[in-house]
Amino acid sequence: MGIEVDVIFKIAGVGIIVAFLHTILDQVGKKEYAQWVTLFGFIYILFMVVSIVDGLFQKIRSVFLFQ
Amino acid sequence: MFKMIGAIFILAATTWAGFEYSKRLSIRPKQLQQFRNALETLEAEIMFGHTPLGEAARRISKQMAEPIASHFRLFEQNLLQEEITVKAAWEQSLKTIWKKTFLKQGEYEILLQFGENLGRHDRETEQKQIMLTLSHLTREEEGAREKQVKYEKMAKSFGILTGMLIVILLI
Repeated sequence: MGIEVDVIFKIAGVGIIVAFLHTILDQVGKKEYAQWVTLFGFIYILFMVVSIVDGLFQKIRSVFLFQ
Repeated sequence: MFKMIGAIFILAATTWAGFEYSKRLSIRPKQLQQFRNALETLEAEIMFGHTPLGEAARRISKQMAEPIASHFRLFEQNLLQEEITVKAAWEQSLKTIWKKTFLKQGEYEILLQFGENLGRHDRETEQKQIMLTLSHLTREEEGAREKQVKYEKMAKSFGILTGMLIVILLI
């Protein structure tokens, strides 16, 4: 359980900072950079979530299929 | 424990880089303005004081802040040498101090061009040359100021935020 909470906080932190970067870049008129930053942040978090979901599926398989 | 120390190091480094960049942005218009003031003083010395170039350069070097002051001091010292043109003296001293300024290549060319025409004409033409250079420098300064207003704050917060992002990604 401890690791799960850690991951949630990590995602929240990345989200906050990427949001700040997006706002700042937007304000100075660098819209395209802002969008790239947001996109990369999103992809990073997506990979993190994918690895967690992968862990979940492995667990389900090991429970129900007795591998 | 080591994680914390590393995080602080990363954060400090990126924050410092951000502040350095914003300092660069704020110093450039200031130095352009100083160069303009120096040229205005030079014009006054030529037009009203009828001062010789070396003498005028020495006076300007006393009034101005570094690194413009050292430019005019070097210029004056170069002028004292035998067999040197004003253009060469100007170019040499400009080259020497250029690394200390935060100005760009365009401004360097403007000042070099000014040096080429220095001390070759009568007073009226000289004044026209100074006016031309001043208008160029004013234009550059406006651009630099615009950039400063736009990017100074961004550079600071960008440094801090990038550091925080890296720390979070690495933890």
